[in-house]
Amino acid sequence: MSLTQDLPRRLSASRGTRAGLLVLAVGIVCLLLEQSLPWLSIWPAEWTVPTTQWIGDGLGAVLDALKPAMRAVSAVLEYPMAGANWLLNTIPPVLLIGLVAALGWYLGGALMAALGFFGLLFVLGSGYWSESMNTLALVFVSVPLALVLGLSIGILAYEVPRVKAVVQGVLDVMQTVPTFAYLTPLLVLFGFGPVVGLIASAIYAAPPMARNVLLGLERVEDEVKEAAVMSGGTRLQQLFLVELPAAMTQLLVGINQCLMAALSMVIIAAVIGGFNDIGWEVLLTMRKAQFGQAFLAGLVIVVFAIVIDRLSRALATERRRYDWRIGAGIFAACALIYLVTLSSMPPVAELAWFDGAAASVDQSVGEFTRQNGAGLDSLKNSAMFYMLLPLRIGLDQAVLPFTWGFQWTPAMSAWFFLAAAVIAGAAALSGRTTLATVLGCLAIILETGVANLPWPFLLAGVAGLGWVAGGWRLAFFGVGLLSLILLAGLWDRAMLSLYLSGASVITCALVGGALGLWAALSKTAWLVLQPICDMLQTIPLFVFLIPVLMFFQIGEFSAFLAICAYAIVPMIRYTRHGLVTTPPELMEAAQASGATTWQSLRDVRFPYAVPTILLGLNQTILYAFSMLVIAALIGTTGLGQSIYLALGSADVGLGIAAGSAMAILALVADRLVQGFAKAQREALGL
Amino acid sequence: MAHAVETRGLWQVFGGNAKSSLERELKTGAASDDVASVLKEQGLIPAVQDANIAVAPGELFVIMGLSGSGKSTLIRSISRLVEPTAGEVIMQGEDLLKASKSRMTELRRTKMGMVFQHFGLFPHMSVIDNVAFPLKVRGLKRKERHAKVREIIEMVGLAGREEAYPRELSGGQRQRVGIARSLAGDCEVWMLDEPFSALDPLIRRQLQDEFLSIQEKLKTTILFITHDIQEALKLADRIAIMRDGRIVQIGTPTEIVLNPVDDYVRDFARDVPKGRHMTLDEVMEPINGAALSEGGPQLSTSMTLEDALAGCAMSFEPIPVRDGDGKVVGVVRPELFARALGSDT
Repeated sequence: MSLTQDLPRRLSASRGTRAGLLVLAVGIVCLLLEQSLPWLSIWPAEWTVPTTQWIGDGLGAVLDALKPAMRAVSAVLEYPMAGANWLLNTIPPVLLIGLVAALGWYLGGALMAALGFFGLLFVLGSGYWSESMNTLALVFVSVPLALVLGLSIGILAYEVPRVKAVVQGVLDVMQTVPTFAYLTPLLVLFGFGPVVGLIASAIYAAPPMARNVLLGLERVEDEVKEAAVMSGGTRLQQLFLVELPAAMTQLLVGINQCLMAALSMVIIAAVIGGFNDIGWEVLLTMRKAQFGQAFLAGLVIVVFAIVIDRLSRALATERRRYDWRIGAGIFAACALIYLVTLSSMPPVAELAWFDGAAASVDQSVGEFTRQNGAGLDSLKNSAMFYMLLPLRIGLDQAVLPFTWGFQWTPAMSAWFFLAAAVIAGAAALSGRTTLATVLGCLAIILETGVANLPWPFLLAGVAGLGWVAGGWRLAFFGVGLLSLILLAGLWDRAMLSLYLSGASVITCALVGGALGLWAALSKTAWLVLQPICDMLQTIPLFVFLIPVLMFFQIGEFSAFLAICAYAIVPMIRYTRHGLVTTPPELMEAAQASGATTWQSLRDVRFPYAVPTILLGLNQTILYAFSMLVIAALIGTTGLGQSIYLALGSADVGLGIAAGSAMAILALVADRLVQGFAKAQREALGL
Repeated sequence: MAHAVETRGLWQVFGGNAKSSLERELKTGAASDDVASVLKEQGLIPAVQDANIAVAPGELFVIMGLSGSGKSTLIRSISRLVEPTAGEVIMQGEDLLKASKSRMTELRRTKMGMVFQHFGLFPHMSVIDNVAFPLKVRGLKRKERHAKVREIIEMVGLAGREEAYPRELSGGQRQRVGIARSLAGDCEVWMLDEPFSALDPLIRRQLQDEFLSIQEKLKTTILFITHDIQEALKLADRIAIMRDGRIVQIGTPTEIVLNPVDDYVRDFARDVPKGRHMTLDEVMEPINGAALSEGGPQLSTSMTLEDALAGCAMSFEPIPVRDGDGKVVGVVRPELFARALGSDT
């Protein structure tokens, strides 16, 4: 059969090819008409709907109506907060350290006791004790609120099946709406002050608890539930005597996640100010470029996070509890130390055991950046010039004498497209038609830049991906939601956010995928990587900003690095997990068929791991979006910046609109990747 | 005689709008098989169709079928763990499907007990707390309920393990806990859903024997589910065989083995050593003037073929068979055994 006869059959073959061709056609048409029809690349301002203003006005009215009641709530909440604050600041530090160490012993033996003891001792020595206690007081009051809220939501969703879908949708959205976006309406409702942080962290920490409650209850064996029914328990007896206790392990996992989320949010909420807590201290010292102190305060946060995380995790693992009498002994010893040192103990604020270290960190970082300034700059500039900028504004604008040493000309564009066409054509002729269309689309993106992409091309792309991954429903879902951004006039900012998160996600996927592969192949590698991953996942988002700022100053590249550092973890973990959990009989079958290690990796383990790796990619995307907003603090453009600005000016309309746009981007990306993962799982019969 | 448990026209259909669809189809007066196939065409799943069983007080009634035949769903419809779509479940004159929620709770506390295939033990409770749970939900004080269940725990052979947790027990011990718990609430109708299927063959036989001796003592009415024909034949007073949601045959073990209504039931019975279940009155011929030798093996009508065969394996003469009064009522010849024990000829 000749090629010409063969081609049409091949072209009509797959779903991916048809979608790809359509998207490519839209892209080419847009490029050709760009000059004559400028509205194709830039959505005209007169076509936008003043959504931001509507949301501002509408929500403003609602908020105004709610305000008196909320202010009353705020006033009531002042009491437990003041109480917790007073308590934590009044307990002598040594006694609290003893208490935590004793608890650590009881939950996890000597290791946990040492962690609690030295961790808090470090906090005490840092001189940030009272700031830390202020933060802790917020966590102490917000976590019970979040737990009650999460437990109620979880039980409600479990009990009333009709509510469940709604609740899960709301939880999904709550997790994708960026944290800063919560703060603006709360700020208007509750006024400046720590209560905003408290409420925000309670709202932010409730969903993980609710999810775990629902998951735990659903996972209780059916027969256990039926046995409770047949024993003649009323519904309440079934729930509280059997189902919730049987789900206890999952509930404790929920408590752990709830604590961590609350801590993270309390620290983020410090940007509002008005409360002398540890997050505020980090911000303050960062703004004053006192990196040594910022680093120290950041470390205090990290230590807190690790102590709280590991202790609450020890609570969730089912193991025997250690002898409480030794714990009591530990506490008694600390009490004794307290009594002995009572007279000689200086006020906690004056403790500064590590100030010397902080100063020397400051100095050596300064020294390091002075000496390697050129190297750091060239690293930053090459990443900017050769990767980030072309991705953002396209080769046609990014290639300048200043950056690449020559000027991009229309002739080069023509050659570029010609080369792309040749490569794509070769791929098409060898039967990989889908790949060919994808290559074509990539060429257009690279030439134009994400920020300047014609909107019909992007919408067509989302529609095509959605159609391939999950059919018409998914396609409509994606296009519908993205059109909202277009109509609201937030498109250009959304594209900037898309570009930066896209760049980070691609980097994370490549680097994280490679690290995950390495960890799957070598046990030693995983021994090294695992603690790093654990660490990176425990650190509150905020703290990632400190080291990148120390070396690369404010700017897009720093934001990019911070996002990558945070978002790479799931990619590593899931890639490794997917590759490691290939069923042994599959690998044995490959080996028995005579496959080399590499062949069995490529042909057996990798295809099997694809759904898991896609889930990792999905997590990475969500992580990148949540960090994107935090990174606005150190200079990014786009939606994150708008959300941050809205917070500063208490502009509810802009905050919510930009926050929703961000959530829409994250949701669409999430659904697309999950669609592909599901299709792949079904193809494998999993 | 009033039945202990009776179902009349019980249907369990899964799927959206199952109730209205079923009601509409039943109104047409079509045969239940036709109704079921119409429902299937609509994408609904008739898991139990038109089940009619009547269990006498003290009877050990076994429901048998392959997985997916609807036997578990049937027992769950009777106990209303799932809400049946149509029909009646009469327990001691009361229609359970009309009982209120609180009445059902009351009935489960006082009249029903259930044992589960995978035990369904509460993982966070010790053995004694598991067993005493039905008393706890009735509001009995801790001391009182513990005192009450000690005897049951002893009866199932778990004395000394009261404070152990389910994860510390072997499979057989776990099911003993399950059995004890189902008995703690003074049950009158005892439902067991494949209670021994998850156990090793040796443990299974041991628990079956103990189960029979418990039954001897308590004389409760029992609904017992199994997919194992041997187990069914060993335990049952009567057996109901289910297939695709339908009850295809109800009968005593002998009836099931000797007169299977269709190939499905025959397939079940095929692996059964018939000699162990068939009695001589099923194979003997009329005397018809045959010369009866005296002094041969002593046979009676209620003897199983296996026992009889052992007695007369060496004889070639027709051997007389006597009824309970010692009167000769028939003869057997060795070739009749061969024919009877052979496969379905």
